[in-house]
Amino acid sequence: MNEYLVLVVEDDKPIRNLITTTLKMNDYRYITASRGHEAIMLSASHKPDMIVLDLGLPDIDGVEVIGQIRTWSEVPIIIVSARSEDQDKISALDKGADDYLTKPFSVDELLARLRVIQRRLGKTENASVTEFVNERLRIDYVSGCVYLDEKELHLTPIEYKLICLLAKNVGKVLTHKYIIQTIWGSNAENSEASLRVFMATLRKKLGDSEQQLIQTHIGIGYRMMKL
Amino acid sequence: MPGENSRKHSLITILKESLLCIIILTLATLSGYAFKVLSLTEADIIMLYIIAVLVISIITSNMLYCLISSVVCVVIFNFFFTYPDFSLSAYDAGYPVTFVTMFITAFIAGSLANKLKRNIKIAEQNAKEKEAAALLAQNEQMRANMLRSISHDLRTPLTSISGNASTLISGGSTLDEAAKQQIYNDIYSESMWLIGLVENLLYATRIENGRIQLNLSVEILDDIVREAVKHIQRSHPKRRIAVDICDDIIPVTADANLIVQVIINLIDNAVKYSEDDTTVFVSVKKDKDAAVVSVADSGAGIPQTEKEKVFEMFYTGVSRSSDSRRSLGLGLSLCKSIIDSHGGTIAVSDNTPKGTVVSFTLPLGEVELNE
Repeated sequence: MNEYLVLVVEDDKPIRNLITTTLKMNDYRYITASRGHEAIMLSASHKPDMIVLDLGLPDIDGVEVIGQIRTWSEVPIIIVSARSEDQDKISALDKGADDYLTKPFSVDELLARLRVIQRRLGKTENASVTEFVNERLRIDYVSGCVYLDEKELHLTPIEYKLICLLAKNVGKVLTHKYIIQTIWGSNAENSEASLRVFMATLRKKLGDSEQQLIQTHIGIGYRMMKL
Repeated sequence: MPGENSRKHSLITILKESLLCIIILTLATLSGYAFKVLSLTEADIIMLYIIAVLVISIITSNMLYCLISSVVCVVIFNFFFTYPDFSLSAYDAGYPVTFVTMFITAFIAGSLANKLKRNIKIAEQNAKEKEAAALLAQNEQMRANMLRSISHDLRTPLTSISGNASTLISGGSTLDEAAKQQIYNDIYSESMWLIGLVENLLYATRIENGRIQLNLSVEILDDIVREAVKHIQRSHPKRRIAVDICDDIIPVTADANLIVQVIINLIDNAVKYSEDDTTVFVSVKKDKDAAVVSVADSGAGIPQTEKEKVFEMFYTGVSRSSDSRRSLGLGLSLCKSIIDSHGGTIAVSDNTPKGTVVSFTLPLGEVELNE
């Protein structure tokens, strides 16, 4: 039996059935809610390990649910939304959601997202604060050096800040807005385009043209994967 | 306050037009003096004033200006040019008749000019309305065609999905495992096809006047192409798709989601119209002032005569057998609309030794780096 408990918040019954069947077949434990208030209560009482949350709920907005849960818990939240709600996805991520799935999504995609979170849950606890290691990548926070296969990379100050930010939030999708505000401050102009260029050069230095390590989420942001 | 604004606006118009009237009448009077000095007849001076009223009628917006300036003309003429000069009295017994005739002539000429001007304006407005109506009708026609074609396209996979599901519900126990597997596969592939259709439809609704509303930003072409390839590999995990991206970072000004959709459609077509064991090639390069993306397959190719037609809406190729894999007739025409709206070009050519290459261009973007 899988040790993880998943809270599924979805008001549409066929989709809820699809998610819970998938969870059951892959040995996850789960509880379900069809409304926002119910979800907030269940996440407080049952302390799930992760939450799959549909943004379009009948009683309160999914983004609000995230905000409320985030006041006391850092439980990973995967949001589910329809394609037309790009802006909603961004505000949900900015409110503290970790990842998103776009309808229609495949069962494999759902499972992949759950595994990403599991990898993070399993490994961050024993992570040290002076060093970050992710397969071939190593960041030494003390000396401010980044190594790929133990060979030092020459990064610009901005690139270093970027990779540290991504590393600290490994497994989590960070929105353009969040990254820009953290790196450049809130009054930077036109920095979304320059962020893309910095990310592209950083990725080149990391030899990550296949986007294995750093994923681009078009129109949303970036994420470092836990390899 | 909009009401106050428009009142202010009309007050300004009145002031402006009145000023114009005064200027024109002053000019006419000055010219009249010149005529008098040159000892031309009073009739010539009267003609001058009639011209002045004509001009006023054409440039002002209200008939009232024409009426008032006709009266003012007669008064000024009386004041400056009839004996005794600089008085409103006229000694000659013929003058009242001259005044009345002058007023009537000026006023009639003025009102005719005004009427003509108004007719022209109405005609222009009518033409504009007609044009708008024609465009609207064209859009409606396009939408109607699209809806009809889509409803038709939807029916087939829906019949297959619901029929297969009902077979499983009612007779699931009597079917052997292989037959069941076939049904599962059919349901899956039909619904995947529907998903593709819905994605395209979503973008097609953004077409307005044949153009698409764009959310432009500077994007890295590499990211866009990767995203599209990732998407295709989810639905065709077994197909070989080779991506050749040049070493430069190519910034483009584009609506990223739409361009992802274009590339998805192009790769999807390439996958459909070539054999399963062949590779689809996607390449990206930078030309002088544009980025170029090409998708090439080694399928049967498109005959020369058909090449122009592939971008027409709902064109789906020369009549294929009914069990051939369906493609979205919406696909390539949508691609063309999207690329056109970006100010790029899209074209089909032959691959060597066989197959099809579809290439499109995008304008390069400019980035200022904030270090």
